Amino acid sequence: MEPGSEVRLRVAQCFRTLSSSTDHGDIIDALKTLNSYLNDGAESRTTSAEREEFRRCHYSRTLRVLVGQLQADWMHSLSAAQLSQVWDPLFLKGPPDQALLVLMEAVSELSPSTGLDRLVCITERFLQSGHLADLLWSFCLQPAPSGSPQLRETLLARLTSLPDITANKLHPNNRALFVPQRYYPLLASEMLAALERTCQALRGGTDCSSTFVAQTLGKVCVQGHSGPVLAVMAPRLAVCTRSDMVWQRVCWKLLENVPERWMESVLTGLVQAVKSPDAFSRIVGNLVLTNKKAHFVLTHKVLLLQYKYETPVLRTLLGYLASDSDRRPLLIQVVRSVSQAWANPSAVKHTPLEQQLYVSKTLLLTVSLLTDSELQELRSDLLQCMLGGMQSHLDSSVVRIRTMGMVVGECLSSRMEINGTKLKFEYKQNEETRELLSLMTPSMCTEPEPEPADGADFAEETREPSTHRSTSQSRPASQRSKSDPDSDLDSDDDLTPYDMSGDQEMSRASPPRYLRDCLETLISSEDSERVELSLRVAESLVRRNVFAAKEISVQMTKVLLHMEDKYSIDGFLALRQAAMVALTVIDSVPVTQHLTTEFYSLNYSLRQRLDILEVLALAAQELSKPASDKTTPSTSTTSELTSYETNNPADWRQVVDKRIQSKTKLISKGSTQPVTKAAPNRYAPVAGYFFFPLLRNYDKPEVTFDLLGSDQLVLGRLIHTLGLFMHLAVNAPIAAQMGAALLDFLWAVRYHADQMVRRGVLFAVCSVFLSVPSQSLLVDLSEQLFETRTWLA
Amino acid sequence: MSRPAPCPIYTLRGAGAPLNTLHFRCPGGDTPLLFSGSAKGAIHMWNLNSRRAEMVVEGHCGNSVIWVSTLQSRDSLMSQGRDMQVCLWDLKEGRSEAVDSVWTGSVGFCQCSLLETSPSNYLLAFAGSQTEEIKIIEMPSKSPVSTLIPDTKLGMVMCIKLWKSDSGLGPLLFAGYEDGSLLLWDVTQRSELSHVKAHPEPIMCLTFDPRHLRGVSGSCEKKLSSWMLDNQNNIQLQDCVMLVNPGVSQLRIRDDSRLLASAGWDHRVRVFGWKKLQPLAVLQYHTDMVLSLAFSDHQDPRQRLLAAGSKDQRISLWSIYNERADTG
Repeated sequence: MEPGSEVRLRVAQCFRTLSSSTDHGDIIDALKTLNSYLNDGAESRTTSAEREEFRRCHYSRTLRVLVGQLQADWMHSLSAAQLSQVWDPLFLKGPPDQALLVLMEAVSELSPSTGLDRLVCITERFLQSGHLADLLWSFCLQPAPSGSPQLRETLLARLTSLPDITANKLHPNNRALFVPQRYYPLLASEMLAALERTCQALRGGTDCSSTFVAQTLGKVCVQGHSGPVLAVMAPRLAVCTRSDMVWQRVCWKLLENVPERWMESVLTGLVQAVKSPDAFSRIVGNLVLTNKKAHFVLTHKVLLLQYKYETPVLRTLLGYLASDSDRRPLLIQVVRSVSQAWANPSAVKHTPLEQQLYVSKTLLLTVSLLTDSELQELRSDLLQCMLGGMQSHLDSSVVRIRTMGMVVGECLSSRMEINGTKLKFEYKQNEETRELLSLMTPSMCTEPEPEPADGADFAEETREPSTHRSTSQSRPASQRSKSDPDSDLDSDDDLTPYDMSGDQEMSRASPPRYLRDCLETLISSEDSERVELSLRVAESLVRRNVFAAKEISVQMTKVLLHMEDKYSIDGFLALRQAAMVALTVIDSVPVTQHLTTEFYSLNYSLRQRLDILEVLALAAQELSKPASDKTTPSTSTTSELTSYETNNPADWRQVVDKRIQSKTKLISKGSTQPVTKAAPNRYAPVAGYFFFPLLRNYDKPEVTFDLLGSDQLVLGRLIHTLGLFMHLAVNAPIAAQMGAALLDFLWAVRYHADQMVRRGVLFAVCSVFLSVPSQSLLVDLSEQLFETRTWLA
Repeated sequence: MSRPAPCPIYTLRGAGAPLNTLHFRCPGGDTPLLFSGSAKGAIHMWNLNSRRAEMVVEGHCGNSVIWVSTLQSRDSLMSQGRDMQVCLWDLKEGRSEAVDSVWTGSVGFCQCSLLETSPSNYLLAFAGSQTEEIKIIEMPSKSPVSTLIPDTKLGMVMCIKLWKSDSGLGPLLFAGYEDGSLLLWDVTQRSELSHVKAHPEPIMCLTFDPRHLRGVSGSCEKKLSSWMLDNQNNIQLQDCVMLVNPGVSQLRIRDDSRLLASAGWDHRVRVFGWKKLQPLAVLQYHTDMVLSLAFSDHQDPRQRLLAAGSKDQRISLWSIYNERADTG
């Protein structure tokens, strides 16, 4: 009889026994027989051919029968020791792939019972005892275990989604090991173990295949578990590949074998998990050149389409591209495409700010990696990018984009050294600009991973901190020795300085005392000091002499509006603005008439027009505030005063009040705040003068001023200012008319291309809704309201 | 929180002219005195107890008095006027008569410098009749000791300081010139020991602390420049102190070498710690240029005063940093 049929007969007999017998001895015998096909040892009663046959054909079936008999009587009557001797090994000693499949199948099918608990325990032991590595390794061996591609696929699915299956089934009683946070690192270390065995086998001259491991890795990553898996794998791989060529080969092969549809998630995960460009290039090799998908992901998608990665990731990726002469052309290609993306005016307008920041970072990083000869080669491209990109960035109405443009322009120009000249902008340093600037200095990030095997490196690392320590120690010492002669008894330290804030610059001329003198100086004086003093006192003079100011308000406004900062006076803009606001507040009607007419007239710079808007807005704000000079002294000040004037006979009332208070029981305390005195709103009667003239000419383009065209900056400001006027006009009788006019105006610019304009429109619409009385909003503005609603919807 | 800026403890008015120079004389038991020289040629002797002018000496024919000093050994006063005379006054028993006078021939504003070598003899250094000339004579014999003329053209002598080092060398003399040069002369050898360009503008004033071999000089700019003398008697320029407003008319170091005061053209007296030259106080009282400064030589350190004479014809007296007088 050939071994196959004999095995079949005996297995079938065992099955019969298991399903029908009630005798313990028979059952245990049957189980032992089955076990004997799995035991390799010398005492085994079976031949290797029989064992092979059993593993190939009958193992799965055996396990299924066992699972089916979980509720059988003999299961309950067998002792725990007997079960662990004859039942458990059947699951743990057989081919791991079949065992895993059966276990997973059973776990997902069974309902909660002791049998399920038993299976879960077995699964846990299966995982704990490293059978996953055996499983993966069995597929690495060249004559891979038989099985249809479908079977492989199923196995792969079970392997990667084990946490999901168990969580679905065991929901409240899930085991800690099956939780993704535990399982995926375990899987990762098992994959590493399988790779380790692969390396050993390769050294031994055996052929291996890493396809299955690669598939597992890809599938796990695409399911979103790349973080925990690669956090375990990447550092180990980086260390192993440092000196071992076999490991490098295995890694490259592994990544090559990742199926294309999963390549992206593996690479993005890896580039985030790896800490340095060198390690990344050792693990990945020249995959970017051979694999199209990898090429697309690494040189295009990560850099230009996505923008979620941190700067170190960019550093790793670009450093990887730059570190090999074969990959260097890719870097050049990246520079070209990134610089185009940076300079693209439509991108500046329409992509989110975060993405622009990301592209800027990428550009700076790539440029910092270029060598001088490559720079020469790319010079014209970069120059074009710089000029065009700078223009579109500086045109933007968003401050951060402008700043970004300035920083990148500075960095590029300093890197390219165009005839030794450099761009230099004035911008406020903040976290963002500092980060961008820091990108130009290549970071010498050495691999931080500890590696006991690599002795030289380790020694160097340990030496470094010690030298740091010695320098840091010697520095204070030298400082001390330097300060030694000073640390006598009579050092200056015990002489505490007096307040020296009064030590200001002296000015020779005295400030003008009359408003007309002030105006005269501002018009005609060439003496910088007198002009400065006049400008400094202008606001207070205007506010002090209301009548004098009214006589010359328009003239003075005109002079101030045209004034230039010839002598670079400290705080010039603020002083001029304050004086103009004071004039507008004091003499609202003529000054606003003048300013609003000038706003649309011919020969003004954008700055002046913006100034006009700012002055009007500030003046309106001041007018709408309750007048501050008529504040009544509150009661709290009187009580403060009396505290040290107790001898004064006049405060008898205080004493009486106190006595009354001490005898009185207060149920509740009323508002102790003094009632704020009502004052007429000074803005309400003149709101129309501020508002309507500005709406008059917006659609008449002048040669120098095209509000609806290129001067969108002013338009945005104008709309914002109008919204502010509207907002301040709340409760004013004229608000309804203003609201109607403003909505009409906004209708024309709702879909403006510039985001600042659109933001202004939203603000203005909000202020209309807030300020216009609700009944007139519904009655008079119903039509506009309807249109606005459809627009907002 | 720093203390509020100090106020003067009292002021002396009535000089009737800008006060070019101040000099304290506060011997142990006697009444503390302050001498001031005015631009109208009057020398006032202020009694600091009664705070009144005790005596007025009109000695230089109405010409501006640019320097007054007293001799340690005797009750005699020296004054220098723009009439090119240095006079010696006997003040004993209320007298006020010139007992001696020296013709200097200098038309400049350079103040004399006095160095007492023994109880009876003293050296007097003054600018001579030639542009760069400095003369040193021994008093009271009036015998010339030396005449110092630099080899190169440096312009007028602006300020001089005669001192004697502990190292046994003869008397030395610092001189500041119109072009900003600072020279150290060996008086007996008549040789230049060191020459540095301390300022781009004329040196208006200088002072020197022989104990620490450090000095400081002021000009019409916004900075004081400090320097020190090394072992080879070379002047080493050290760091500068920036002022808020330009122009310094006089610099003084307190006897205990802890404070430096500067008389500013900006009406303010600035006080610095002398060790590190860190600013300590700005004394604001005057309404015109401060021309002169003096620290008093009270025996008891707690009574020490700082006097400032200004173009606004007033003298202000300040008491600052006298609290911890035990050190130094």
